[in-house]
Amino acid sequence: MSDQARPRLSCEWLHACAGCEMALLNCGDRLLGLLDRVSIVHFPLLMDHKYGDRAGAGFDLPRAEIGLVSGGVASREQLALLRTMRESCKTLVAFGTCATHGGIPALRNQWTVDQTLRTVFPEDEGECSSAFDGSSFLDRVYGIDEQVAVDLFLPGCPPRPETIVGVIEALLAGEQPQLTEKSVCEHCPTIRTGKGQRTVRRFLANAEYDPGEPIGSMRCLLEQGLLCMGPVTVGGCGGGETPLCIRARVPCRGCYGPVRRNGNQLLDMLNALASNGIDHRAIVDRRSLLRFSGAHGLLKPPEKRR
Amino acid sequence: MNREPVILAFCCNWCSYAAADLAGISRLQYPGSIRIIRVMCSGMVHPEMVLHALNKGADGVIVVGCHLGECHYIKGNEMALARAEIIADTLEDLGIAAERFQLTWVSSSEPERLAEAFRAMSARLCALRAPATAEAADAAGEEA
Repeated sequence: MSDQARPRLSCEWLHACAGCEMALLNCGDRLLGLLDRVSIVHFPLLMDHKYGDRAGAGFDLPRAEIGLVSGGVASREQLALLRTMRESCKTLVAFGTCATHGGIPALRNQWTVDQTLRTVFPEDEGECSSAFDGSSFLDRVYGIDEQVAVDLFLPGCPPRPETIVGVIEALLAGEQPQLTEKSVCEHCPTIRTGKGQRTVRRFLANAEYDPGEPIGSMRCLLEQGLLCMGPVTVGGCGGGETPLCIRARVPCRGCYGPVRRNGNQLLDMLNALASNGIDHRAIVDRRSLLRFSGAHGLLKPPEKRR
Repeated sequence: MNREPVILAFCCNWCSYAAADLAGISRLQYPGSIRIIRVMCSGMVHPEMVLHALNKGADGVIVVGCHLGECHYIKGNEMALARAEIIADTLEDLGIAAERFQLTWVSSSEPERLAEAFRAMSARLCALRAPATAEAADAAGEEA
């Protein structure tokens, strides 16, 4: 097939780390098949071309059938870039948890921009602090669906490589990609007895398990008193099999975001703990339960009292 | 704040809603900006409902149930009590003042206690300045 006839794929990153793009490239043999079926027209990680003045408002992006956007929106440039992406792509996919829920960068939403800048670029230390211009910062980090219409949400930090390719292939075939809507716990084979610890401890000592035995013979980590975000996190990291962190015998950190799109991982987790009689005050830094989903106004600076 | 604070009251069917009824019949006075929502049990008020109300423009939420040990469903209000603790803590985590939420027990024969709880909450919210969230400020059509 000639380059012209193939559906075009455009990939852009905003407030992101390139991990999602690396996951796409990490899908093994299927990448070769994918490269035969699409024509990549824009992919800053892979190819260098000039597409606009970062200081100005205008961006020039090629038109594409499928657009992947990773990362949240934290600055005016990113917002302009995202809007251009939306205009130039027929189907826009929020690619990774930063795009769908803000991700790690959205942790800054619990402070004001001013506080963040003063913490990261202190006035009295370092030489380039005064040269840094924070005026292009938005008031907080947004998920991309807060700014433009999004056609598909593909969470994950990063999303599973096979899932990414599966989604692109489904879109090429004109089908609606099927992503799981069940929690991590639904995919977790560990043993639950209903009688667990009444408190949660920090993950300073490993869980109890026999390394020679399969995961299915290990006791549920939450019941062992470890703070596992499985109940409030959407599954898919293990591709229908044992979730990745559980496979490594460590608790889920919640990187796929809430089970329902507008869920609140902090509130849901504490509610789950409270209804099972577990002491939620044992959690050291509760706000970190929103470490992957602080956008959509969930994390914000404390309310000022009169 | 010029207007009276809007307070959403979740009243359980068996005790506190009956108390609200009785308060009306007895012509007890409490602020008119209180919106009562009847629920079957205070234990069914999920924390997300409270957060949703605050995000959509309510200045405060009060959950009213039967006295402990008098629940129509045996243990519903104990569930409400367990949830109230996490709601108060979580509101602060989420950047909302914990004063905007309250849990109170009122039996069906205590309309004065209910009216007093409403008045006290309204006064407390007047002392706080802004609506709960920026979103809520937009909903209420005011500057935060």
